[in-house]
Amino acid sequence: MAVIELKNVRKYYGALEVIKGVDIRVEDGEFAVFVGPSGCGKSTLLRMIAGLEGIDGGDFLLDGRRMNDIAPDKRGIAMVFQSYALYPHMSVAENIGFSLDLKKVPKATIRKEVEAIAEILQLTDYLDRRPAALSGGQRQRVAIGRAIIKKPAVILFDEPLSNLDASLRVQMRAELQRLHRDLKATVVYVTHDQVEAMTMADRIVVLKGGEVAQADAPIALYHRPDNAFVATFIGSPRMNLVPVTIARAADGKAEVTAARLGAIHIDDSAMPLPTGPAQLGVRPEHLRLAADADGDFDSEILVVERLGVETYLTIGSLDQPIMVRVEGDIAMRPGDRARFSIDRQSCHFFDMAGRALPRA
Amino acid sequence: MAPHHAHNPSKRRGADLSAYATLSVISIFCAIPFFWVLLASIDGNASLFLQWPRELTIDNYVRIFMQEDGTRWVLNSLFVVGTATLIVMVLAGLGGYALSRTRAWWKRPFLYTILLIRVLPTTALIVPLYKVLLTANNWLGGVLRAIFGNGPAREILKYVGFIDGYLGLILVLATMQLPLALWIMKTFFDTVPRDYEEAALMDGATMLQRIRRVLIPLALPGLGAAGLFAFISAWGDFLLPLILLSSPDLQTLPLGLFRAFLRVNTIDYGFLAALAFVYLLPAVIAFGFARRFLVQTFSGGVKG
Repeated sequence: MAVIELKNVRKYYGALEVIKGVDIRVEDGEFAVFVGPSGCGKSTLLRMIAGLEGIDGGDFLLDGRRMNDIAPDKRGIAMVFQSYALYPHMSVAENIGFSLDLKKVPKATIRKEVEAIAEILQLTDYLDRRPAALSGGQRQRVAIGRAIIKKPAVILFDEPLSNLDASLRVQMRAELQRLHRDLKATVVYVTHDQVEAMTMADRIVVLKGGEVAQADAPIALYHRPDNAFVATFIGSPRMNLVPVTIARAADGKAEVTAARLGAIHIDDSAMPLPTGPAQLGVRPEHLRLAADADGDFDSEILVVERLGVETYLTIGSLDQPIMVRVEGDIAMRPGDRARFSIDRQSCHFFDMAGRALPRA
Repeated sequence: MAPHHAHNPSKRRGADLSAYATLSVISIFCAIPFFWVLLASIDGNASLFLQWPRELTIDNYVRIFMQEDGTRWVLNSLFVVGTATLIVMVLAGLGGYALSRTRAWWKRPFLYTILLIRVLPTTALIVPLYKVLLTANNWLGGVLRAIFGNGPAREILKYVGFIDGYLGLILVLATMQLPLALWIMKTFFDTVPRDYEEAALMDGATMLQRIRRVLIPLALPGLGAAGLFAFISAWGDFLLPLILLSSPDLQTLPLGLFRAFLRVNTIDYGFLAALAFVYLLPAVIAFGFARRFLVQTFSGGVKG
């Protein structure tokens, strides 16, 4: 059992407040991902949970027990470092067994446990090697082995895949998820990569400037972002944000007007949008190429990126570009003009401060 | 014109040849004194000139260790320089770690200030240094005489005295070598990520365990390099033992060599050369041992 609760947690560096009253709850066995741009405080928060950074305000509870002042090794928490931090002067086996060795566990017992862990992580053939003689993926697995041999209730990962190449990263993502299923430990995982967050997490905590921007299941963040920051951070390519004016049309629908793109009418009778200036958020996948007759607006195509399975078109103007994702291979050239339609159901609206305007 | 020549293989071979010839001449020029020392030391009839020995002998070495006080000089030198090196390594290890890990405004000024100790010529400082050590020595002598009486106090002072005692020379030698060692260790620890210590902390290591099991093994190359510089530099120091030591039992190798040179009758070049060779050897051996640490320390720190 390991439920993590952060209650109004704060951290200062001198006069600078870097964590500004964060409330997070991670359920037992959950895979939680802290995600955000660099400098958002996600690593600091992780290190506060680990005990490597002090907590200046608020409480950190583990299963209801206050942990603020408990030493790092007494919290039942293990951590995998971004650099792996494998001791270069010890063999793989010594690295994995170091924590048990410090506890004066008999050598034979350590050897048995290390071998069991090596079996799980496919490291059996490398136990006598030094870390310098391992590949990036193997070092990563040693770092994980060193964490799980302690049978921790909570495992913390600090950007563990950032030093691996793209294909290995995909493979390790799957391995980490399998490991999480087998170990049933609570995991807190820090990354700046929203794809990693979306694919692995049970719950994503999006952080911005030391505050929680939103915490929810990955797909909920995609469909119902609370604010423009989360809306543009989750999803790739990012959501288009277009300044618009909302007015009330004669038929009672909302008339949404954007410079250059013209006006569209949206039925908001279930929950009327406030009139005035706002931002329209629409994801690239919710814009479509339309037949000449219908469609909402036409635009010049500025950039064409043909990936085969899909094509990205950049339209609008260079100072206000709009990205459109089209299925399949579309043979278009920059300079062509085309007509586009907007999926009304998938439009998001934000006020000028970036807060989401409620929609039914 | 020049680039054209560079493409011509025969010209290039000529340039290579002249480069190697020049380098060879320089190497021979540098190596000849060492060669002379080695040859003269085993020459029964050595002179001031480089010559092939007509008869090979180890008499000179036998004389150093059997008839003269050679063994004592070597042991004194090893003890004084070895202890000073050890002190430097311990202090530079701890101090370098602290200087690398703490964030303080005075760090830079401090580091540059201590380099001054290294930059100032010892000769210029010798008078005030002697005065300070003498005052300390007189005070210590007074205390020891009061407790143990005259005779035993003199014996104890031979070890812990600041003037004409091992301790004074050891401390001064260590002080001279500490600044550079601190710089080396501070720079070295800068390249050792904190992650190692934090990982050890998470693994449940106490402060002492972190130092012994993680930090010292990681710092070994840096400590080796710092120790080597301290040893070689202190080993080569001549002025400080000359000023600070006078008792025959405390003489070190460079002093023995110096006094042998000053003897009134004709100069025995064979004996001097043998003594010089004995003096050279430890520095060369120390370098051989620590060479790989040097390479590791000055080419990029710890590789995980």
